[in-house]
Amino acid sequence: MNLSKVFTRTAITTPERQLEADADLVVVRQVQAGDVASFDRLIVKYRERVFGVIYNLVANREDAADLSQDTFIKAFQAINRFQGGCSFFTWLYKIAVNTTLSHLRKNRMRSFFSLEKLSEEGGNAQIIDQLTDKRGADRDTYLRELQEKLNEALQKLSIPHRTVITLFEIDGLSHSEIAEVMACSEGTVRSRLHYAKQFLQGELGKYLNS
Amino acid sequence: MLKPDQKSKVTLEDLLRLKRVELPSPEFWVNFEKELRQKQLTALVQKRHWWHQLPVLINRRIYIPAGAAAIMAFSLVTIRYSVPTQVGQMPKIAPRVVAEDSAVEMLPATVVVESVSSRTGYQEGTDVRASARVPEVLPANLAAVPALSLPREVEVAVARPLVAALSRLEQPESDLMESALGNRLSVPARIQPASVSKSEVASMTPASTGKYQLIARYAERSLSPAPTAPAVVRERLARRLGDDLGDSISRIGVVGSRVSLKF
Repeated sequence: MNLSKVFTRTAITTPERQLEADADLVVVRQVQAGDVASFDRLIVKYRERVFGVIYNLVANREDAADLSQDTFIKAFQAINRFQGGCSFFTWLYKIAVNTTLSHLRKNRMRSFFSLEKLSEEGGNAQIIDQLTDKRGADRDTYLRELQEKLNEALQKLSIPHRTVITLFEIDGLSHSEIAEVMACSEGTVRSRLHYAKQFLQGELGKYLNS
Repeated sequence: MLKPDQKSKVTLEDLLRLKRVELPSPEFWVNFEKELRQKQLTALVQKRHWWHQLPVLINRRIYIPAGAAAIMAFSLVTIRYSVPTQVGQMPKIAPRVVAEDSAVEMLPATVVVESVSSRTGYQEGTDVRASARVPEVLPANLAAVPALSLPREVEVAVARPLVAALSRLEQPESDLMESALGNRLSVPARIQPASVSKSEVASMTPASTGKYQLIARYAERSLSPAPTAPAVVRERLARRLGDDLGDSISRIGVVGSRVSLKF
């Protein structure tokens, strides 16, 4: 079966994404056929990305962990409903975002922020180097402050705007994928993205010199 | 302390990329996996409610036969209640009784229009000449009401309340009063109206006519706007009262110190 023909609704932008979607669909079909253990492969593959999306939305480590687990359980329970109309990771993102938005709406007044430690493994060190040329304790203090300011600015955004900027800038989803995940038009996604960027530039202007 | 100006060429995208490197430690994932297993097991043994199955049912496209069944049921109900009955086929215009006697026209016309329009939803304004079987006791002018120019079924439907109304004219006065004043009487009085026969009325003394006067006065008080029935009642009562009074006076005789009454 040509799996690429299955994905008609979502425009998968890159060939890598297409290959990834095809591979996921094979695993999903195995799970649907009764091979429940295959779902663990999907968990391991996507847990960091799902956690990352949720963490950037709720800005709380414990809540992000709970919501990530809930996302995977919901996905497992609904796996038989997955028809392959979109890629598995878009479908999983949709569950994650909906679960998170529901949580945020329920706990609108509650806000406990906790920051993860910045990992400087692999290519991450390069990103941090780009932000600061400090070394030692100054560097850590600076990065910590930057992290806090960034979190504060993100939390000031409305939930839809925060979701769009998180999915686009941090998770690297395309406009069409975000539109699919958020069940809105691409125009809405672009509009929200533009507004969110303008807002963040206003909030973090003194740390930017673009 | 933070000195933002010391940095070189930092864009918002660079700043947001910082969020990508906010990753939990490997120990976190061990704990995460353990908790996820527990939650999965809990979810497996947990009984799911029926509404959780709704999306599955919708996904199985049962809504197509369900929707078709709903449409069928709706159509049947609509057809069932929209099939016009024979009376319903009549033009929605209420009949108006044409009679030469204005008193007769007033009372039954109101009753007929009310009763017919309440059942068929007619509007007032059309002359319907009823061919009801008029009782023989009716006056000649009432018996001469022309025939309906409508189908027989319609005639029957229209004539029934007419006959009922016309026959009320021949009821004893007590019944006539009850029909006219029924709305003003209390509930028990309407349920058990006093049955006064003609002989009882005839046997009344002039003093008992005060009762009629009271009733006539009561009828004069317009409790509701433009009541037509009390006018008829008054007219008929006055007519009967005059007859009774004249008759009664002619039967009274005075002989010396004795008063004699003829019955």
